[in-house]
Amino acid sequence: MIIKDVVCPFCGCLCDDLDVEVDGQKIIKVQNGCTLAEATLTGNNRLPAPIRRTANGWEEISYDDAIRETADILCAADRPLLYGWSSTHGEAQSIGVHIAELIGAVIDNTSVVCHGPSILAIQEVGHPGCTLGQVKNRADVIVYWGCNPTEAHPRHMSRYTTFATGFFVPEAQKDRTVIVVDTRRTESAEIADEFIRIERGGDYEVLSALRAIVRGKGSILPREIAGVAREQLFRVAEICMKAKFGAIFFGLGLTMSNGKYKNVRNAIELTDELNRHTKFTISPLRGHGNVYGSNEVFTWITGYPYAVDFARGIAFYNPGETTAVDILRWGECDAALIVASDPGAHFPHAAAAHLAKIPTILIDPHRTATTPLCRLQIPCTMAGIDAEGTAYRMDGVPIRYKKLIESLYPDDADLLRRIHDRIREVQGA
Amino acid sequence: MRAVLNTGRNISQGIAVEHKGSPAYQAAVSVCHMNPVDLMELGIDEGEHVTLTSRAGSVVLTTRAAESMNRGEVFVPLGPYANHIISAETHATGMPDFKAEPVDVVPTDESVRTVWELMESIGGVRYDH
Ligand code: SF4
Repeated sequence: MIIKDVVCPFCGCLCDDLDVEVDGQKIIKVQNGCTLAEATLTGNNRLPAPIRRTANGWEEISYDDAIRETADILCAADRPLLYGWSSTHGEAQSIGVHIAELIGAVIDNTSVVCHGPSILAIQEVGHPGCTLGQVKNRADVIVYWGCNPTEAHPRHMSRYTTFATGFFVPEAQKDRTVIVVDTRRTESAEIADEFIRIERGGDYEVLSALRAIVRGKGSILPREIAGVAREQLFRVAEICMKAKFGAIFFGLGLTMSNGKYKNVRNAIELTDELNRHTKFTISPLRGHGNVYGSNEVFTWITGYPYAVDFARGIAFYNPGETTAVDILRWGECDAALIVASDPGAHFPHAAAAHLAKIPTILIDPHRTATTPLCRLQIPCTMAGIDAEGTAYRMDGVPIRYKKLIESLYPDDADLLRRIHDRIREVQGA
Repeated sequence: MRAVLNTGRNISQGIAVEHKGSPAYQAAVSVCHMNPVDLMELGIDEGEHVTLTSRAGSVVLTTRAAESMNRGEVFVPLGPYANHIISAETHATGMPDFKAEPVDVVPTDESVRTVWELMESIGGVRYDH
């Protein structure tokens, strides 16, 4: 059977035009997707049943026991941490927030180690963004800053920018100018019309220089700024100011380098300057399929997009203090529930090591680098493959994941609901 | 050699990311991309091993020559190897320095550890059923 218009759950592009061929409980062919989509949809590395770590290794346990034990561990903890949430649907995320409120936990999502700093910058100066549809149909100048979409979001260029024809840009390659700014000559840089190679850590300076030029103060600039010739920046500023509609996309090259959210703030302020001349927008290239959804869901329920601490009985937010890496590196939490993410692979090990010292429960379909660190792992469905649900694309557009095959596993929203209800029972008693 | 460690996604990491125990994942994320001139200066060929040591720890990786790299910079794909040596300090932002960790790069004959060995070294228990 061929299922049409399938949504790929891997990256924040959430491409919704895949054709997937299914035979019973197996996905056998993926069309239109990139190599990442194919690997995600056809992969098979599921954990067969819930497992518990014992003194002699691992044992399989029942779902009932796993749920009971999870609720008991969370209820007994003084400072539980609930972390992850980007590879599941909004339905599971919202129950996670309710559990956090019930037990006075800190709940954080993976944006803390990707675009958390972008959110901090947006909270300071706002977000002049737009949907990807606007970019596709209008943008004649595209800037990719500190990101490598060719490898991390392989269809971004073909669906929305460099190679995509749009209503006002009928001949993509002729009508659009693509500028790539990076410290490395990446594959994306090879495709660009203009590549600005800056010295590591020089983003803030180069952004400030561009702002100066756009403001008409370019004469104060030195000959070279963070390894970039002044003339190149004049040329690029001219291209941007002459654009009919420009779109900047930025990645972790800004959020993870020195300066972090201040880099992003400067990029937003450059966009602001450019809007005095023409129309320009800026947006983060969000990584995981539904990481944007975790920010949305947390925000509707608590008012804050990530790093929400319920220890006081009300929602409190202070990145740097209530963020998962910090809570782990200080050894502050005494139990952890990890859902749909892999801090064992993606957190600095000085922080991840704390997960092995405390009772950690992992709800995830796969054997991951967090599996060895946890006390219990409960396998569940994978949103977009054997579970449907709502996800948010990187531009904030909600898209419904389809269920492609019947599952042998419970949906993570159902598992979390059962844990939630069990906690209420224990608390009631 | 003193260098700055940069980390990030790449295609081979992305393809194997849901198969953390697989040889493909290990091969994808235990690689240290560096400028060919830096490799020459260390006196080793592509494919030989180096130990990267930072303020957080050290890890052995397989080298790969990459013209795209600046001299004095190394790139290790996002994953447990890079994170073995990224410091957990976040400077009150919640975000570690994933793209700016100073490291020492030294050639070595030691072999590259498996993902499970790395996780055991921080207190984990492997599950390989
Ligand atoms: S670009 Fe992203 S969402 Fe689109 S098919 Fe590739 S991995 Fe999936």
